[in-house]
Amino acid sequence: MNAGATPEALSKARISLRESAIAFYTLWKREMVRYLKDPLDTIVPPILDVILFILIFGIALGVRLGEVGGFPYIQFMLPGLLMMSVIMNSFYNPAYSVFQSRWQGNIFDFLSSPLSYTQMATAIILAGVCRGLLVGGIVLAAALLLTDLPFAHPPLVIAELLLVAVAFAGFGCVVGLWTKGWDGVNAISLFLLDPLVMLGGVFYSPEMLEGVPPLEALTRWNPFTYLIGTFRYAVLGLELEGMSPWPGLALSALLAVGMLAWAIALFRRGYHLKS
Amino acid sequence: MNEVAIAFEGLTKTYTAKGKRVEAVKRLTLTIERGEFFGLLGPNGAGKTTTIGVIAGTVKPTAGSVRVFGLDAVRDYRKVHKLVGVMPQEEALDSWFLNVREILVYSAGYFGLAPREARRRADALLKRFDLWDKRKAEVKELSGGMKRRLMLAKALIHDPEILILDEPTAGADVALRRQLWALMRELNAQGKTILLTTHYLEEAEELCGRVAILDQGELVAVGPPEELTKRVGGDVVEIELDARPAALEAAKGLKALAAKVKAKAGTTLKDGKLVLPGTLEDPAVLETLSELARAGVKIRAIHAHRARLEDVFVELTRGLKA
Repeated sequence: MNAGATPEALSKARISLRESAIAFYTLWKREMVRYLKDPLDTIVPPILDVILFILIFGIALGVRLGEVGGFPYIQFMLPGLLMMSVIMNSFYNPAYSVFQSRWQGNIFDFLSSPLSYTQMATAIILAGVCRGLLVGGIVLAAALLLTDLPFAHPPLVIAELLLVAVAFAGFGCVVGLWTKGWDGVNAISLFLLDPLVMLGGVFYSPEMLEGVPPLEALTRWNPFTYLIGTFRYAVLGLELEGMSPWPGLALSALLAVGMLAWAIALFRRGYHLKS
Repeated sequence: MNEVAIAFEGLTKTYTAKGKRVEAVKRLTLTIERGEFFGLLGPNGAGKTTTIGVIAGTVKPTAGSVRVFGLDAVRDYRKVHKLVGVMPQEEALDSWFLNVREILVYSAGYFGLAPREARRRADALLKRFDLWDKRKAEVKELSGGMKRRLMLAKALIHDPEILILDEPTAGADVALRRQLWALMRELNAQGKTILLTTHYLEEAEELCGRVAILDQGELVAVGPPEELTKRVGGDVVEIELDARPAALEAAKGLKALAAKVKAKAGTTLKDGKLVLPGTLEDPAVLETLSELARAGVKIRAIHAHRARLEDVFVELTRGLKA
């Protein structure tokens, strides 16, 4: 009996670049269809949330707040809101999708296919990035109906959006693997992401908190402040005191690479995927 | 020269559950040839699903290896997955937002089939497995039998060389079971190597050219069903003992008898049923019947038949336990 691989078997087992690309595309498309098929549940609510923020804080209260850093309040706030949309939507898509696939059992489809673990993680993360940018894009389009934005540094706008989307889609993928129930994803969102985003200067600049030491310290030590500060600089050209955009950009890049690598490593290890 | 489709070499899988080390599969060494219809039998918890999980990509082996056409199932997992189609025991259908046809088309895509070819194969399988009318239905609209057929179609979407079926007929009614058997036979006749796990011995006897029996993770027998049945002799006599409380007064006698029958090769005593190799004319069988009568044990029924795989299975996985 011949225990070695036969040329026929090897030829049938060969995975061409085209086949590999189709497999990756199929998984990415599945992840996209998952949320695009049900926009009332996935796309519309976060957009409505942000539009309400714009109407209430930007328009109704914004006129009373005057200018921040030389910009009308609504303009000051918009980059923060955009970043918030991108962070949350990039995170939610892989987090829910990965857990749902584990819970439903259809993760078996990917694990038993010729997709590599790196392909699985990156296709899922890429779909998360797409959702974050899609929701961010719609929010931006809606916001531009109400006010102008100067887009002072367009390459930095694109780089920061992409890096932050990759970072949080990667984190979402990790959470989707880690959690043992739906509540885990909600808990991370409620107790970690929401406070960090809200205290990260979406609605205010750290300078506005002078005289409120604990809140100012929380904001200054919050890494999200620098992500949002960098994006605000990219969009408005506004550099707040002690908020150079470059540490924020470096942090975004570090988080993007770190989270992507973490998610891939967990897939390769079979963390909560294999027994 | 026969070609080896699957070779397990010292495969071992150890889990730690609640601080205790459990050996789910113990140094399994076994080869399955190309074109075989091979059955992996064993009671629940014998390690069948764990064993095939290494090929399917859901189980990390602790030691040893599995080779599929010479390719290592762990190192060359992508290539191995291309050669293998797996129908898992649990329903694992992407039913949240995909309909029946889409489930097959997406599955084909994961195996690198271009959309047009994926749709062509999905449609062909839907027609072949009598699911065409349900192609736009959601999974929740399908009957149990339809779901099984859909899972089998999914395992076949990339036209694999080897088909691994994990308890495909578990819980199926007789009609569905017969239907699935016919499909499996047809696939094997077309040249597919089939590895079937089942605890339905009748199924293994009906379909498999060779079987392996696993018990508590250990390989206890391997061979064609008819050869294995020869181990308990060609003929078997089953004596159903009366186990009612009044009759159990005779249990003392039964206990004494158990010690005696233990000495007879191939004899089992389980759940009030004594199984002896031989025919009703056999002196050893007649002697046992006399002993039962002397011990005061009442007999409810006596069946004499050719040995079945079930008899081998009982002997090898349970032994002589009163």
